[in-house]
Amino acid sequence: MDTPDNGNTPEETATETAPEEKKICMDTVCKILDSFPSRSRRYLIPMMSKLQDEFRYLPEDVINLLMSELKITRAEIYGVISFYHQFRVTEPGKYIYKLCYGTACFVKGAPIIAEKMKEKYNIGQGETDETKLFTLEFASCLGNCGAAPMAIIGEDTYGTIDPEKTIEICNNYTL
Amino acid sequence: MSTVVKKTINFTLNGEPISAPEGTVILDAAKREDVFITNLCSSPKLKPFAACRTCMVETVVDGKKELVYSCTHPISEGMAVRTDTEETDRYNKACLEMLLVEHPLDCPICDKSGVCPLQDNTDALNLYNGRFEIQRRNEPSIKTNPIIEFYLNRCIMCGMCVRICDETQGVQALDYHKRGYKITIGTANEEPLDCEFCGQCITICPTGALMDLTSEARGLASMFTNTETTCNFCSWGCTVKLETKKGKLIRIEGDETFDVGINEGNLCAKGRFGHGMVQNENRIQTPLMNVGGEFKEIGWDEAIQTIAERITATVNRSGPESVAAIGGEILTNEENYLLQKLFREVIGSNQVTNLNHVRAPYVNAFQQKCFEGGIVSKPITELAEADVVLMFNTDIPSEYPVAGNSIRKGAIFAGTDILIANPRNVEFRHESRTEVRMTYKPESDAAVVNRISRILIDNNLIDSAKTRQTIPNYDALVQSLSKYTSSYTEEVTGVSDATLVQAAERLGQNADRFILIGNDILDTGQGEAILNALLNLSLLLQYGGEGSINIYPPREHCNSQGVNDMGMVPETLPGYQPQNLNQPNMVADLWKNCSQGTIKMLWIAGEDPCHSSSQASKVKDGLQTVPFLVVQDIYMTETARMADIVLPTCSYAEKEGTFTNMSRHVQRVAPAVLPEGQARPDFEVFSDLAQALNKPFTHSSVREVQKEIETVAPSYKGTFPGKKSAQWIPTESGSQPEFAIGDEGTAETPSQDYPMKLITNNHMFHIGSYSHYAKALVDIGPDCVAEISYEDSQAMNINSGDRIRIQSETDFLDVPVTVTDRTTPGIVYVPKNWVDVPVNKLRNGHQGLIPVRINKQD
Repeated sequence: MDTPDNGNTPEETATETAPEEKKICMDTVCKILDSFPSRSRRYLIPMMSKLQDEFRYLPEDVINLLMSELKITRAEIYGVISFYHQFRVTEPGKYIYKLCYGTACFVKGAPIIAEKMKEKYNIGQGETDETKLFTLEFASCLGNCGAAPMAIIGEDTYGTIDPEKTIEICNNYTL
Repeated sequence: MSTVVKKTINFTLNGEPISAPEGTVILDAAKREDVFITNLCSSPKLKPFAACRTCMVETVVDGKKELVYSCTHPISEGMAVRTDTEETDRYNKACLEMLLVEHPLDCPICDKSGVCPLQDNTDALNLYNGRFEIQRRNEPSIKTNPIIEFYLNRCIMCGMCVRICDETQGVQALDYHKRGYKITIGTANEEPLDCEFCGQCITICPTGALMDLTSEARGLASMFTNTETTCNFCSWGCTVKLETKKGKLIRIEGDETFDVGINEGNLCAKGRFGHGMVQNENRIQTPLMNVGGEFKEIGWDEAIQTIAERITATVNRSGPESVAAIGGEILTNEENYLLQKLFREVIGSNQVTNLNHVRAPYVNAFQQKCFEGGIVSKPITELAEADVVLMFNTDIPSEYPVAGNSIRKGAIFAGTDILIANPRNVEFRHESRTEVRMTYKPESDAAVVNRISRILIDNNLIDSAKTRQTIPNYDALVQSLSKYTSSYTEEVTGVSDATLVQAAERLGQNADRFILIGNDILDTGQGEAILNALLNLSLLLQYGGEGSINIYPPREHCNSQGVNDMGMVPETLPGYQPQNLNQPNMVADLWKNCSQGTIKMLWIAGEDPCHSSSQASKVKDGLQTVPFLVVQDIYMTETARMADIVLPTCSYAEKEGTFTNMSRHVQRVAPAVLPEGQARPDFEVFSDLAQALNKPFTHSSVREVQKEIETVAPSYKGTFPGKKSAQWIPTESGSQPEFAIGDEGTAETPSQDYPMKLITNNHMFHIGSYSHYAKALVDIGPDCVAEISYEDSQAMNINSGDRIRIQSETDFLDVPVTVTDRTTPGIVYVPKNWVDVPVNKLRNGHQGLIPVRINKQD
């Protein structure tokens, strides 16, 4: 069947629409897609997980390529992305600030920590600050209720935090 | 489906013994018995989904009681089903109550008020006092596209719109987004809707969350006056419901009532949103007379008198054969019948024709050959039960969008296999397990078909001995197919032989086969050869295979079939009754005879050949020369502007009669509104003229004309008044099957200067000369856009959005272009419906696809 040339077209549009952003290497994308038994919609979710592992989010060009390769529509792919909280369509900050919003952490003050983050970095749930240092995400329960309220920043875990401590910890992270 | 016979299951429903085919879900079985079970998310067109949870029933199987959802649970032997028990009501009520907590209950201004399943179910469950605190949603409505308004406060998340968009329309522009309490339906990121604008989601939405923005009225749909009639755009012949309020046409809806029409309530953009062409200020209001280039308003009496005098004078001076008429492909059967009667009996002229016949006189012959060969073809309503469908050179979503709905339904419920043969890589999304796609080189249509025929014979996929016995010239066919070897065909068509073998094998199996032929083949210059090839293939399958073969001649407009049936052709009388031609056939070369002065007077009923004909300059020359031209139409078309007298007639929403669709279903056209201005139905105009010529017609009503048609055209007997959309069946068939052997059609050698081929056809949103007067259809697709392939775009450095110049041997035009994978290399596609992009002028009489070259414009 006459489908457009896989490699070239999306790459071209990438350079046109987003000149400042890092160029997405379509070879990497194709390599990931090729690691699956077939380019079928049944692998959509694992494919997106792997792609997000690679790029930290799902860039528009990658989504477009998935649409044409798996023959699914824009509405459908965004339906799946918006269903699962872990999929992101915008580039996140350097560090993901995962604030536990489980029952224990909630009771012990997760909301006031979130307020502090809003005050300091002007970010709410799912948002990224201007300098692209942090992205704030709420987690349902991170399984460390004994140390509530707790958060995971990047790879590091912090327990029994409070708003002031949070800011102190955050100051240790730089771009 | 011919191959599977379903078992019958016996069970009881509320104590009554009932039987239904195996696999039927309880809800559908109950519906057949007229037992109402509350439900909000089930439709016979869609896969069971069980989103609303309001259809619970109690079942007892082998003494074991279970509460199940009736929309997904199939019946089983000996099952006892009870509906409306205290327990099921309690569950069903609870779910509905939850929905009503949020639902706005703004019924007086809701489009579904009175025809709302949510209201019906609330009433059925006597749910008058909800237990919960009301928390209405109050988000603003989303109006980011010109046609469909999203007022999601009313949405109950039944998913009907999402499913119909996906399963029936194959577009999937809508989906669920987010989840849990925040779930919503809509487009990706709430982007403006960009789809086929079929509006199916509006009809199926049970609550008025999706509304028709083109409709002027809001609320109380149950108070509108509904008129069931037949759509006047393409030849598929969908039944539409015209909704009027105080004499104004408000909107058009599909009628989803069981067994109404051929389309199960499915409609396309044109059929649903094309109502703007009916009550429009641009309509011709009074009869007009051309006085020295200026049109002067005159009265009907004067107009009829002038025409009558002119006819008498012309007949006396030059004989009756100098007066000719073009029947209308959008006029009713009764009107076309009267027009030919006026000409044959009152004026004495046999010079009647129609543009479909002028363009492709061989189509009627093809139909006749099918009948003679015993291929009568089933009603098109059975398309959804087909085993295999071959779409031959037709872009279904544009040409017959509603056929696509039936085929997709078949693919889901009947396991239909899909074969697509087209020079373009046309889009057709479906859920069939099998799709064989034959994307062949332009103008190699016949070779594709002939190779499939040869494979059927060579690979013993059909019973050759039986076929040889029945059809005398079988050996001649084998002889003529000998040149279609695998290597020759591969070279000519560019399709791999393995693909064609796959297609042939699928066609060869025992199956109900349907072949839909696109009007595109008439533009290839080899229409006759292609139809003959398809006829031969069909005969092989009919006599050498098992199952059935159904093939329909290509017809473009709503009554292209009927105009031929009614004898608006010089060769045959109504019902294809033979006649002795005692006059020369002047309309065979109509335009030339006009230009040369042999035809002195021409009557055009509702056609615009200046725009639609493929020989534009010949047409214009002819129309300028012919001494007296009468045009009946509803708009001032280019053709009407050249007329001596213009008569304003009625649109389909203002008159009575029948249209015959491409599969010969005779369907009723009923008036919903009064005629615009002084417009009169063509029926009255022809009657008045007969009166003025002193040979008045005896019939005073459409019904009487129908009775007369039944006597002169026996195949139409019993089809009127067209309410049940009966298919007319030829009175004689299968008398002399014969393969059509002769010219096989060859592709033109590509020219050096014009290396590309131009394909033109109707755009998805337009057909004929009226759809551009419907504002909604213009809003969703304002510009004519050409399409080229990625390969060509790269070779010529053209991007989507650029303007290109398309140059043919005779003319050129400039048009914006988009780069798409729908189009294959070497082809440029331009829809033919824009008056300001007259692609037909590039053709100018050229037979076959037009050789062109394209250049990027700066």
